[in-house]
Amino acid sequence: MKSYLNFLSKRLSSLIIRICLLLLLNIIVYVITFYGVISKDYGVTSPRNTLAFISENSSISGISSSAKEQLDAINVWAIFIDNNGNVAWNYAAPSELPDKFSINDVAIFSKGYLLDYPVFVDTNDDGLLLLGYPKDSYFKLSNNAFSINAIRKLPVFFVAILILDAFIVLLLYYRSKKRMVSNIEPILDGIESLSKGQPAVVKVGGDLEEISDGINKASQIISRQNIARANWIAGVSHDIRTPLAIILGYADKIKSHCDADSDFYKYSKIIGHNSFKIKNLVSDLNVVSKLQYDMQPLNMETTRMSKLLRTFVADRINEGLEDKYTLTLNIAEEAEPLSLNCDSRLINRALSNLVNNSISHNPEGCNINIDLMSTEDGLKLVIRDDGVGVTEDQQKIMQKPHYMDSLDDKLDLRHGLGTIIVKEIVQAHGGKVETPVVDNGYTTLLSFNL
Amino acid sequence: MDTFIFTKKLLIVDDEPELLAMVKSILEEAGFTNIVTAGSVSDALTICHLTLPDMALLDVMLPDGDGFELYEKINKIARIPMIFLTAKDASDDKLTGLGLGADDYIVKPFLPQELILRVCAVLRRCYKDNSVLSLDGCNIDFERAEVIKESETLPLTAKEHALLKILADNSGKIVTVDNLCEALWGDNPFGYENSLNAHVRRVREKIEINPSSPTSLITVKGLGYKLITRN
Repeated sequence: MKSYLNFLSKRLSSLIIRICLLLLLNIIVYVITFYGVISKDYGVTSPRNTLAFISENSSISGISSSAKEQLDAINVWAIFIDNNGNVAWNYAAPSELPDKFSINDVAIFSKGYLLDYPVFVDTNDDGLLLLGYPKDSYFKLSNNAFSINAIRKLPVFFVAILILDAFIVLLLYYRSKKRMVSNIEPILDGIESLSKGQPAVVKVGGDLEEISDGINKASQIISRQNIARANWIAGVSHDIRTPLAIILGYADKIKSHCDADSDFYKYSKIIGHNSFKIKNLVSDLNVVSKLQYDMQPLNMETTRMSKLLRTFVADRINEGLEDKYTLTLNIAEEAEPLSLNCDSRLINRALSNLVNNSISHNPEGCNINIDLMSTEDGLKLVIRDDGVGVTEDQQKIMQKPHYMDSLDDKLDLRHGLGTIIVKEIVQAHGGKVETPVVDNGYTTLLSFNL
Repeated sequence: MDTFIFTKKLLIVDDEPELLAMVKSILEEAGFTNIVTAGSVSDALTICHLTLPDMALLDVMLPDGDGFELYEKINKIARIPMIFLTAKDASDDKLTGLGLGADDYIVKPFLPQELILRVCAVLRRCYKDNSVLSLDGCNIDFERAEVIKESETLPLTAKEHALLKILADNSGKIVTVDNLCEALWGDNPFGYENSLNAHVRRVREKIEINPSSPTSLITVKGLGYKLITRN
């Protein structure tokens, strides 16, 4: 509703200005159309002015020559009727006019026409001066009486009708805008989703149906492409797994059959290590692509964070952690009961990637700490190590968009998927990832709102 | 290590002959002596009908069906421990596998050591003659719920028995306080940590030579406990 009102108020002033401009235009057209006629018919030759002029330049005894010229110029005839109804004189009057007029005749023509000629009358002590204009030159109201009550009501009526009209116009305007906005809003939402590469379903009838159909079709194409891409990635990663298992298995076998100081031992170790890297990359790629294309439904459950972390750390240690690494969990007392609505599998995945990062960047060993703390509006997880850390330059490189998000031709293939997967997972939970610059080692902060 | 598990008969089912050969050689090298392989559902079922294996490792995608179906068919013949070994890692696949009652789920590619450990763990859990457990200072008879020391025999309470059982099932591994509380008090056991501490103290008094410096039931700070066994 608020958006409609905003929309309305924004457009209202321009609507009013437009209405005023329209009125002005009407006046201008009116003036242009009627200027000639008005100036001619209501100017110096108008009946009122002519009547005054002729009246001044004539009497019962006759008419001056200047008055005659004036009458000739505008093709008007004149007669003078004395107080007894006799025609005292006439000038250019039609021949069918009678010589004498009764009081009835006078009463009739004084308000209107004489033999269809529109006539205008001036009186003086001697009688009546009558000007006859050509037939069909003027329209005269012969019964021009109006009720005083009706005329008194007119101003109120005009103001009321104006207000009513304004109200109706605004109402119609508001309704049409509202309908437009309610139709356009889903379309805009749909377009926004499409611009993010996400599918959209828009249901709009009427004139805009064609547009919404177009959006739905585009959306179908995008989701088909997304599904195809995610499936393609899933398929490739599936097909890589079996050969990789064979490589890992035999590399290990070679290693176990070589002397620990032989080159072959070293080579097989390198093969194993790199196969392991591919293994992680493949499974990360799968998770990232599914998260990015919204293919991975989040399995949200209320999970006690302290329990999740204890299980994660215990599993990690139980799986076997080399002696040069330590993994320590510190849970602040007030954070112990905190629960987060989350997909624990994905949170585990993020933690695992961060711990793996610390391990793989510190082949000489390091101490890894996981801290859980409560904050004002949620909880904070700190994963920190005291290893070699990163330089400021490296940190800057890591802030750049990842190649998964990059459209640059020169694909920057420096870093793997480890960090992007953490970002994707935390964002999917409405959280935030920070990597502050620290003096010692590498630190990642994950914060979630409860 | 329990040597009896290496005599168990293992069936490995995968449609990839090279992988089959590799898994077989890894397990043989680890000490397993009785391994059969199959490349399809029908081959696997033929083997199971002839002589039932003690355990099966199943690939999920097979040329004539899927591993989940095979799991159910083998289960109808006899209930044996089974592990899924697959290149699929989609979460619902994992749930399908474990929901059926599979004992574990290993995603390819795996480290050979990981495979051996998991196979051994499942076999030990399912076949171990685990009624008597040998610790530093005593033996525990789970069937009789007794701690047997040189000079005396001490009875275990139900809670102490449950505590030792879950630790023994995961011997050498950390079991978190959360898992222990859940095993002892059921779901949502938040707030039972103090009671757990009390039970641990009493168990130590029964099983440790010197309860104030334990060598069998070890505290792992901030996480939980683990039980160090002798065998």
